[in-house]
Amino acid sequence: MTLKLECVTAGYRNRSVFSKLSLPEIPAGALVAVIGPNAVGKSTLLKSIAGLLPISGTMTFAGENLAGLTSHQRTRRVGYLPQPLPQAIPLVAYETVFSACRSARGDWSREETEHAIEVVFDTLGIRQLALRRLSEMSGGQRQMVGLAQVLVRQTPLMLLDEPTSALDLHWQLNVLNAVRDATTHANSIALVACHDLNLALRYCDQVLVLSPDGQAVLGSPEQVLTPELLARTYGIEARIERCSQGQPIVLADRPLPAGVC
Amino acid sequence: MSAVSQTQTVRQEGSAQRVSLAREYRRFVWRRVMCLVALASAALVALLVDIASGPSMLGFADVVHGLLNPEAMDAGTRVIIEDIRLPYALMAVVVGACLGLAGAEMQTVLNNPLASPFTLGVGAAATLGASLVIAFNISFLGLAAHVLLPLSAFVFAAVASLLILILSRSLGASVHAVVLFGIALLFGINAVVGLIQFVADAESVQQIVFWTMGSLARASLDKVWIVALVLAVCLPFSLRNAWAMTLLRSGEEQARSLGIRVERLRLTVLMRVSLLTAAAMCFVGEIGFIGLVAPHIARLMLGEDHRFLLPGSALAGAVLLSLSSIASKLLVPGVVLPVGIVTALVGIPLFILLIIGRSRRVAL
Repeated sequence: MTLKLECVTAGYRNRSVFSKLSLPEIPAGALVAVIGPNAVGKSTLLKSIAGLLPISGTMTFAGENLAGLTSHQRTRRVGYLPQPLPQAIPLVAYETVFSACRSARGDWSREETEHAIEVVFDTLGIRQLALRRLSEMSGGQRQMVGLAQVLVRQTPLMLLDEPTSALDLHWQLNVLNAVRDATTHANSIALVACHDLNLALRYCDQVLVLSPDGQAVLGSPEQVLTPELLARTYGIEARIERCSQGQPIVLADRPLPAGVC
Repeated sequence: MSAVSQTQTVRQEGSAQRVSLAREYRRFVWRRVMCLVALASAALVALLVDIASGPSMLGFADVVHGLLNPEAMDAGTRVIIEDIRLPYALMAVVVGACLGLAGAEMQTVLNNPLASPFTLGVGAAATLGASLVIAFNISFLGLAAHVLLPLSAFVFAAVASLLILILSRSLGASVHAVVLFGIALLFGINAVVGLIQFVADAESVQQIVFWTMGSLARASLDKVWIVALVLAVCLPFSLRNAWAMTLLRSGEEQARSLGIRVERLRLTVLMRVSLLTAAAMCFVGEIGFIGLVAPHIARLMLGEDHRFLLPGSALAGAVLLSLSSIASKLLVPGVVLPVGIVTALVGIPLFILLIIGRSRRVAL
């Protein structure tokens, strides 16, 4: 079960966001951080793999051409968490997750569905929110419910667009742990768009860096995240140092003046 | 003390005896079913009170007794109940239910709590369609006026719905912009209806005025059956879309990625809303605010799971219009006011409250 992109072009109505993007094969079980500056196409990339945007080129997952799948087949294989949080409406968390199962996993019996929901609420540590209305929750809590909608379906490919944007440190670590576990145990692939480079360094096996010039680099965090690359993609002066436990950390010092990068 | 009991609860939770979420949720669903039953009972009570009230007041017990055992009534009461009160009260129930259902579906697919057939001008468009048939005595393909009138109301309502759909999609319009567009549509259509009244003859004008005021006075059992039939046809289709609509409410992108064809859903729902609106209005005229307020009441009681919200909203609409009908008979003794006037008088303050509540939330 590998994911491969060849010559993929995607964008909106009359503006292509990236063109002819090709990536080396992403192996099963990989947790990939998708990073890059604003407007570089992280969300567009995830949306096009999720089938929400028209694309040209080929995307192969587990030997199948993703574009050739029916929407029903695709929902079994691909789970997508959009960047906007679930709306603050009087729907309770359990129903939100239950309706996602109903729609995507029609093959499950009622018991299987209930068990899967039980497990996902426990893994994410949001059991106490199950019967609370989304309108009574904080943004972070709603984000967790949105994530539960994706994880519960146990898809072999997960696309998470900034799943930690509304979360405090505890929940950020919690979420990435849960995603990490899911990829390890089910041997699935997760692509996680995020802005926090240190989180990416700590949890991800691979980093996909999209830069404004249309280049994409994929590799292990320590290989890819170098001061030169950070200067080129983000326009910042940064250092990669070792913390007291020997983990690499990124320290961003200052923005580079325009034109240098 | 409390610390001790807390540790005990924690220990209990840790053991295998923990209540499963599925079980808790089933209890939760049970409460909702009870809420629906309560709403249905309220609708029934309102229906009976509606039958009992009027210029010659009947006892509640007499009504129940008379309905269950028509032979035992004296001829006068029987005429009052069967020929006048019953069609009138049943019409209030079915029309209210149609409008409640249409409002809930519209608010969901447009993701707009201020949407309803009335506030977005769909009702006004139906009036325009009806007025054209009434005033110009149009005949088309040899269809009789009583078939052509609802048909024309539906076609105009559908066109108005499509306009709203195009606007909210292509311009990515905000909640308030869509409502303002609806109000503009309402004004424009009212002007055209005014023009039609100006050129029409006296009898047509009277009929059009009757339409625009909204009155249950011309209800008959045949007409009740037709509206009930439309409702009975639409409701199963609505419920079939219930899961999709629930998902759509939690987030459009998420719904899309779950394989829901959002555009198609919007289109079919708005066509259904047009049909329900035209059916509700073709015999009683324009009745405002039921479609706006009923979904909010249902949402407060039942939440957003559309399996419960949609029937709940229909029931809430039925209760509201029945209560309005009772009020229309009791407000001025001896006179039956057009029910559309009552719903407008009650509905406008509620509409304003909704707008204030919304802008406060947006400001925060």
